[in-house]
Amino acid sequence: MSAPGKMSNRISIYLPRLGLSALVLCIASGIVLVFIYRPMGNVFQNVEAITTRIPYGWFFRQLHYGSGQVFVILMLLHTLDHFVRKRYRMYPLKEWVSLVTSLVLCFLTLFTGFVLKGDQEGVFAGRIFMNILNAIPFAGETVARLFIIPGNGFFFLPYLYHCFFLPLLIMYLMRAHIREWFPDRRFMMIGALGLFVYALFVKPAVDIPLEASLPEVQGPWFFLGIQTLLRWIPPVLAGLIIPGLFVACLLVLPALGGPSAPTADCGIRNGCRAVETGLYYLLMAAIGVYALLTLWAAISQARLTP
Amino acid sequence: MERRRFIKKILEWATSILGGALLAYPAFSFMTFRRVNEKKIVFPRDEQGGRVNFKEGVYLVHESNDMFALSARCPHLGCTLNYDTVSQSFKCPCHGSAFTLAGRRVEGPARKDMARVPLQKLTSGDVEALLRTG
Repeated sequence: MSAPGKMSNRISIYLPRLGLSALVLCIASGIVLVFIYRPMGNVFQNVEAITTRIPYGWFFRQLHYGSGQVFVILMLLHTLDHFVRKRYRMYPLKEWVSLVTSLVLCFLTLFTGFVLKGDQEGVFAGRIFMNILNAIPFAGETVARLFIIPGNGFFFLPYLYHCFFLPLLIMYLMRAHIREWFPDRRFMMIGALGLFVYALFVKPAVDIPLEASLPEVQGPWFFLGIQTLLRWIPPVLAGLIIPGLFVACLLVLPALGGPSAPTADCGIRNGCRAVETGLYYLLMAAIGVYALLTLWAAISQARLTP
Repeated sequence: MERRRFIKKILEWATSILGGALLAYPAFSFMTFRRVNEKKIVFPRDEQGGRVNFKEGVYLVHESNDMFALSARCPHLGCTLNYDTVSQSFKCPCHGSAFTLAGRRVEGPARKDMARVPLQKLTSGDVEALLRTG
């Protein structure tokens, strides 16, 4: 095998193992935080107390944030690695669907964590999510109430999803894919060392009080592209239909070119391969456009920051 | 025999779906129960001085001998609107919608004007806004 091939194979091995160590640290630090974090009352004050007054609170908050981000970013890279090299062809459709769904749920877990900060960014992100769901024709308000409710219990459902429903569902979906739940000791050491250094030396970002008046408020980095789209196109299209179509196209790939694809050497098979190639390049283009939208939003925010 | 098995299968499916729906409907109704709450926001006399006053999600606006209250929530996706003293307009920090002092939409993705909040003058001279939440 050529050197670049060996290198990319090595990356394919390292990414998920490092990701798993980040997940272990994320769960462990989350268990510590849950003893003090309260999703009711003045959540902003509670988070500020964790960060500034409660012993080692800043460390566990930063460790939880860093490990969560690292886990999801590594899972995203792991999936992209499989997608770009068309390795989804190795997977039965059911397994690929479970894994891509678990990645989407990982992003939802990060998002609920962002809401749970309880600062202006978090509250606005929660309200935007709720109002996008509200905008679904006919059943919008009812659907929204399954995820987030306005008023005093605003943080309670996101908290329940963040700490309970989503982690359980993610682990259930990934159960067949992960061979060993406790990562190799070397990867665990490297992951722990890197994240401990991060949590010790990188201060948490400043939380914005709810009553602050800022010219621009941004959502989490992975939703910046959607936030930009929301400026131009209707909420249901920008927030649900376009992301939903992207995920749906990604999900069907193994059905067109993997073990679940038609095997008979006939017109259907060739047609499926052609559709697969078309979808593959369409998804590549969509990823590129989304990255550009995200970059644009980040640059416009940087310009506004004094 | 084939037909009997087929009918049996259909009946099994129908019973499962009906049973599931009978359980799911009350569960869904319970989970999505909605109670509309109303919050009273009082602007005492000394907090009514400025042309635009803000308190707990409500803007109290004085415009050409008229006083009215506007919900500070952007009608697009619910971010709290900022009052820009220079342009004397309300601006959304999330997606860039802008509204006049009277709450009329000027630009941006919002399709509606800012919502008016019912206002009541109390005998003490205080003003009470009734904001619907939930």
